[in-house]
Amino acid sequence: MRKRTLALLLALAMLLTFALSGCGGNETSSTASGGDTSTSTPADTGDETSDTETSEPATSETTEGGTPKAGDAMTQVNTPRAETLIVETQTPTDTPGQFNSYMMGTTMGMGIHQLMSAHMWEMDSVKGEQFPEVAADMGTPNEDYTQWTVKIREGIKWSDGEDLNADDVVFTFNMIKENEGIGASAATNLYIESVEKVDDYTVQFNMTESFPRLTMRYGISVWGCDYRIVPEHIYSTLDDVTTYKDENPVVAGPYTVSAYDPNGEWILYQLREDWWQSTLGVVGSDYYGFTEDQAPAKYVWFRVAGDSSTKQMLMTTNEFDVLCEVTMEEFEAMNETNPNVKCWWPEFPYAYLDDPGAKSIVFSHGQGEPYNNADFRWGMTLALNYDELTMGIFQGAGRAAPIPLLNHTEYLTDKYVIPMEDWLLDFELDLGDGTTFKPYDNTVASRIAEKVGLSDLSDEEKIDMFGAGWWKHDTEAATKLLEKAGLEKKDDGWYFNGELFTPEIVYLADTEQQAGRTIQMAYNQWQSFGIMGNLTTKSQAVWDADGGTGNWYIAGYWPSGGITTDLYSALSGFDNQLIKPLGEKGSGQGCRWDNQQASDDLHKLANLDPESEEAYDVTVDLLQTAVTDMPYINVTSGTKFVPTNCTYWEGYPDSENPYNGPWWWWSCFKYMLPNITPVME
Amino acid sequence: MKKFWKVSSLRLKAGLIITAIFVIIGFVVYYIPHINPFTFNTYEPKLGASAEHWLGTTSMGQDVVWLLIDAIHNSLLIGLIVALIGTVVGVLVGLLAGFAGGVLDRILMIITDTFVVIPQLPILILMTSLMKGSSTVIVMALVLAMFAWAWPSRQIRSMALTIKERDFIQVAKFSGEGTLQIVVTEILPYAFTWSLSNFMNAVLSAIGSESSLAVLGLSPGNLVSLGNMIQWARNYNAIFNKQYLWIGAPIVATVILFIGLFMLITGYNDYLNMKRGR
Amino acid sequence: MKFKTFFLQRVLAWALTILIGVTFIFFIPRMFPSDPVENMIAQMQSRSGNMPPEEMEALRRSLRVQFGLEGSLVEQYFSFLWKGLLHFDFGPSLGSYPEPVNNIIGRNLPYTLGLSLTSTLIAWIIGNIVGLIAGFRPKARSSKIMESIAICIYPVPYFLIALILQIVFAYALGWFPIQTTLNTLGTTWQFIGSLLKASILPGLSLLLVGMGWQIISMKSLANTTADEDFVQFARYRGISEGKIGVSYVFRNCILTQITALAMSLGGVFGGSIMTEIIFGYPGVGSLVQNAILQSDYNMILGCITISIVAISTATLIVDLVYPFIDPRIRYG
Repeated sequence: MRKRTLALLLALAMLLTFALSGCGGNETSSTASGGDTSTSTPADTGDETSDTETSEPATSETTEGGTPKAGDAMTQVNTPRAETLIVETQTPTDTPGQFNSYMMGTTMGMGIHQLMSAHMWEMDSVKGEQFPEVAADMGTPNEDYTQWTVKIREGIKWSDGEDLNADDVVFTFNMIKENEGIGASAATNLYIESVEKVDDYTVQFNMTESFPRLTMRYGISVWGCDYRIVPEHIYSTLDDVTTYKDENPVVAGPYTVSAYDPNGEWILYQLREDWWQSTLGVVGSDYYGFTEDQAPAKYVWFRVAGDSSTKQMLMTTNEFDVLCEVTMEEFEAMNETNPNVKCWWPEFPYAYLDDPGAKSIVFSHGQGEPYNNADFRWGMTLALNYDELTMGIFQGAGRAAPIPLLNHTEYLTDKYVIPMEDWLLDFELDLGDGTTFKPYDNTVASRIAEKVGLSDLSDEEKIDMFGAGWWKHDTEAATKLLEKAGLEKKDDGWYFNGELFTPEIVYLADTEQQAGRTIQMAYNQWQSFGIMGNLTTKSQAVWDADGGTGNWYIAGYWPSGGITTDLYSALSGFDNQLIKPLGEKGSGQGCRWDNQQASDDLHKLANLDPESEEAYDVTVDLLQTAVTDMPYINVTSGTKFVPTNCTYWEGYPDSENPYNGPWWWWSCFKYMLPNITPVME
Repeated sequence: MKKFWKVSSLRLKAGLIITAIFVIIGFVVYYIPHINPFTFNTYEPKLGASAEHWLGTTSMGQDVVWLLIDAIHNSLLIGLIVALIGTVVGVLVGLLAGFAGGVLDRILMIITDTFVVIPQLPILILMTSLMKGSSTVIVMALVLAMFAWAWPSRQIRSMALTIKERDFIQVAKFSGEGTLQIVVTEILPYAFTWSLSNFMNAVLSAIGSESSLAVLGLSPGNLVSLGNMIQWARNYNAIFNKQYLWIGAPIVATVILFIGLFMLITGYNDYLNMKRGR
Repeated sequence: MKFKTFFLQRVLAWALTILIGVTFIFFIPRMFPSDPVENMIAQMQSRSGNMPPEEMEALRRSLRVQFGLEGSLVEQYFSFLWKGLLHFDFGPSLGSYPEPVNNIIGRNLPYTLGLSLTSTLIAWIIGNIVGLIAGFRPKARSSKIMESIAICIYPVPYFLIALILQIVFAYALGWFPIQTTLNTLGTTWQFIGSLLKASILPGLSLLLVGMGWQIISMKSLANTTADEDFVQFARYRGISEGKIGVSYVFRNCILTQITALAMSLGGVFGGSIMTEIIFGYPGVGSLVQNAILQSDYNMILGCITISIVAISTATLIVDLVYPFIDPRIRYG
């Protein structure tokens, strides 16, 4: 018996030694990994015809954060690792080999619209402004905004050498209008009467009605947009543009498709040799001042990274350069294993705080009392403890977002929240027993900063990081407001209409960490306050339908809109004329906030020049109305942990060099690429 | 009782003790008054093991020990309900079909087969997405039980088909016993061994299915179960952040629970055989 | 002639089972509050910003027509029965419209079948052999050790086994790729090589969990059978233990186990969901999951119908073969 145990132990020890030596061996001979297959790895020539597969080039590199030895490692798609930027794409595509953006089912986010598409207007997310891409200007409207004249940029070439000109633009818009099979077709016909060519580089849009926001609607304001210019000389020869896969796309963007996975797990892009004539070269040199020697990565490989643990392992072994979103805990673990994995801030709070989607706790007003009662909603707000909320969500990372409807990016906080501070501090709630209460608290930033050990920051930095303010935690005022709203406190909790008040509190399963945690924290705080809610989750599919029909009570999602100065486009859904009865699908906001003042403001905004002072004043009035009525509770700004790995590439946008947001999945990614340079020579 | 203890094997004893410990934890310790362990920030988050918190606290400031006790209670409850429904319905349907034969057998088998051939996990994902709003321990158990009976009934039926031709059944038939009587007096004891191990397996597979759903993010958000506990720990990246107590506790509990149940069943079978042999 | 009646009845039952199952699958997703059109709109909106209201209405109308969701439920049902069940044409995927469901499944099915069928079969064979030995000679030390291993592995949640394999062999040791990336650029042999390399860990994980249960159930069956009178009788007759094991115990247990095999083979669709998610392995399992999340009715129907047909056919074959394996069973 004893002998047997001993033998077993010995075997185990041997196995362990073997394993360890295997590990060590890999590290010392980083190029010879896989042995049998690495016969022709000296690929410093960049010769992509090398037909051997080098297994696990990345795991064999040092993982301790040191500089890799030589630039001769190859990726699994036979490109030199040092010339390949590897980017995560969140879902595989079911339509591999399909690159036509006007055929439905094309997975645009897999690099297609980031690297190949050309749009009329692109977005500068730092300034919250648009700039012309294929267009040469922001368009010149006639007096009543029913006609726009747009100049087209000269010098952009398609990847087959043809010039991009007005013909392509006119053809693209007419193609969308004429083909019912294109998703945006019906919508485009609603507003665009016709698009005409004036000369080779001028186009005229004739609108069906007064339309002040041409660039917002037909250019990019967040992720991308449905209006991507196609090469007229190719698409005009097709019988049906909606069924043309376009496997070898001719593009105006800087990259073309080099190879793709027949299972849809990855796409490899190669830089155009004439990239200087692509949108990136022509527009980038004009707007960002890029020069011709700033050539971006030769290859960009978009690939799926798998589930949470796989993703972390791939990133820490340098098999990825950039990931999309991870949680704070995932980021911390990766950063600890491999210090080359970084985020927006070099230390706490790490995350990028300007994502267009402040996370909110929303009430379904269509459910009637008490949800449609402002006193109830304010009572629920004051029952929350912000400090605990934000500590529970991402350990304090995230900018406080006090005002509903607003996204509270750094830019919008400066533009609206801080100028509104005096009004916010004076704002009073009527508690219903003759007393009033001033709920605004502008000391949030310094308190959180102290909690996370950053009290030596300047006040501006604190506000930038933790927000201008939020609402006080005051159970007494909350109690009075709920009583005013008709609720009654008993020993076992709050009662409404004689029954225990048990609202269903919902969050989305496994898609949105920040909103999910916000709801979990709020549920807990309300429970200790006596609101005996039911915490449940919904899948994305169910929510997509229920969210619109109002078939829920309290939910965590992100109804605030937009990161541009002009909030109208993002908030037009709050118009109370769009409200449909509960259970019907409408085109307005699912929360069915019915406020005449807000709707009037929106109607005014619709016909104002977004840049005008009047528009600003109306927007402020809209936000004040929202605060007074509290349609939903905004908690923190969109806080995203978007990790980068500086083992092979450096110069990613971050807090020290914020030339753009970390948006690998937005179409503006192409304008970051010249800044991202190889670490090794 | 004393005698039973004396003659039973080590395996039976160990199984009995482990299972008893879990039952005590799940149905006795659970009723000791305690703070709702699900409440966030009850304690300082991310504490290590200490006298106060034997298994530390979670990233949300919950006490792992009490969370685990609640999880064991709920998971056992789900497992027991599912196994009970599954085994009772499954054995009855299986025996009935196997013995009655004819039209009844065919109808029962078509229904059973329908439930057997429909892939379970996708439908569970569908159903739980559908029932999201009203999910409780009981609803969850009923959904899982929907599929739990079909497999045993098919197994029991094929067993019954084999047994049916055996001599002792033929003898009983000739001596004029009715089908139901034969089933109850002759077959049921025979199927009992198999049913017991099936029961154990059903408890486990119910707990397992619940954890698969939880890992896919589909178990009710506030249901403290072993699966959900694993899922929460995973959501907060406990594995890579080295919070082994948090993620380890529900996993180790699941494994021990199974081993205990398994030893109990096999040990009991051995005990029965031994008794019969004497 | 008895076999003919039995055969016809069994085939009729087979057809009915499929029909009931498929009907079930057709109506359940449609009882959902979810709606593929709304999913598509939400997806478009989250990407390119809010749509003006009129635009959303226009899009909603055009999508309903394109997705074939116009017309009553009964009409849709019969058109599905005709096209889907009789011609195996499930129409376009609603999540990746207008790519046909058949194309997507066709692309993924070989991977699922290759990986799951192989590992299920190996697990079944090894599991039965080990289980037989353990059940037949319960006192032997080797059978005790093997059984203990099975008991210890079986209850570990599947995702954990997969994760441990992945961390140890792919991450720490670097023997296998962490994520499945198939080399589709090189020669066929390189492709097969990368496929095999990527399949080992997922296959091993499936093997481990599959085997545990096979060992346990075979063991308990063999154990019961080994105590039966006819086995004891064989012993008295002086037949060698090995021969008893194979021709008496094994032949009697294998019947139940073959049914189990038929069904676990069909179960590969559901079972592969977690494998595919963790190892990023291509296959049908993750298709089903995504389809449910996107309420892609056609894809759900396509995948599950194929699965239902596969399992029922497997059990049909087992049932028809039954009487040849076990002479004690008569037709009917």
